[in-house]
Amino acid sequence: MGLESMIGGEGFLTTKINDLVNWGRKNALWPMPFGTACCAIEMMATFSGRYDISRFGAEVVRFTPRQSDLLIVSGRICLKMMPVLQKIYRQMPEPKWVISMGACASCGGVFDTYTMIQGVDQFIPVDVYVPGCPPRPESLLDAVFEVQKIVSGEKLDSGKHGS
Amino acid sequence: MSDDTPPPETPPGDASPSNQQPAPHPVRAALPPLIESRILDEVTHGGQTWFIVRTPDQRAILEHLRFEQNFEFLKDITAIDFLGRDTIERFQVVYVLYRIPDKLNIRLHAWLPEEVESVPSVVDLWDSARWSERETHDMFGIVFDGNPDLRRLLMPEDFPAFPLLKDYPLKGRGERRQFPLVRPRGNEMVEDAPLPYPVSIGRGMHTPEYVEEVQRESKPRKK
Repeated sequence: MGLESMIGGEGFLTTKINDLVNWGRKNALWPMPFGTACCAIEMMATFSGRYDISRFGAEVVRFTPRQSDLLIVSGRICLKMMPVLQKIYRQMPEPKWVISMGACASCGGVFDTYTMIQGVDQFIPVDVYVPGCPPRPESLLDAVFEVQKIVSGEKLDSGKHGS
Repeated sequence: MSDDTPPPETPPGDASPSNQQPAPHPVRAALPPLIESRILDEVTHGGQTWFIVRTPDQRAILEHLRFEQNFEFLKDITAIDFLGRDTIERFQVVYVLYRIPDKLNIRLHAWLPEEVESVPSVVDLWDSARWSERETHDMFGIVFDGNPDLRRLLMPEDFPAFPLLKDYPLKGRGERRQFPLVRPRGNEMVEDAPLPYPVSIGRGMHTPEYVEEVQRESKPRKK
């Protein structure tokens, strides 16, 4: 879309392989939904027709972490769920990005109790945080845009988080 | 819990036996005298009635309510910790019963001393008591003697405490900080010490550069 008109002539294009790979990755994010609470309802709304995350290339929702590269943690994470979340995160292939959706996943929200994880970023790396309780689908879409910006800046020759 | 209509003549919020001796609740009146005499007190508040007994006595009352008075629905079993209150014992085990045909709620509170090891299970009366007693055991550490499967229900199996006891701190004793930080390094996943807590929300997202970028990109809203 638009690219063909810019190429013109013989149909060749010069670019950096880094840019080409990042361009492909950021427009084909495959989310792994880790929905545990009401934020998951908003996440489902984001995936469905009205808000339609597929406009931005992230509609291939995979329920296996081995096929996804964007983990959306949406909802409360409690003491028993954190090992599961870490296992899911470990199973995702590199490169991978994490959205912490909503107040509970980001900081525990109103649940400052013995069983609530006060922010999943203590235990897995988080790239983008989404405030709200729960956030509107527009907020999650904006978080996907933020992830796309992060993806655009990735370097191929280093590991995603450096090494 | 308060879906039955309150009788109009009952004084609201009166937890002490009054002088004019109101008529006992029909459920209590139907109990045999030997069992009825074990009821320490009867309280009606907000349309809800409950009987208070001491701990081994609730078993006989529950059996009678189950088989003779047709309370076939056990809503819940829970407990109350009166630590620091001026009560005769520390715990109350609460049985919430329901009779489906006339939609009648009755609660039975059984005082449980702190040093008593266990209370009799009612799994043989109501099958639904299995999970209710498991949950009460999970939260309060009360042992139900006769429950065939008294494992933890909600908390992790190796959780070291009973979190609904009043002497357990609300924010725990550090159990929620027990995980490592899992992150990729190179081609493998490594485990580090967890990040300090609390961390700021939106770390890296409200830097001056980011704020400037948002202000630059956002357009003024049209009228």
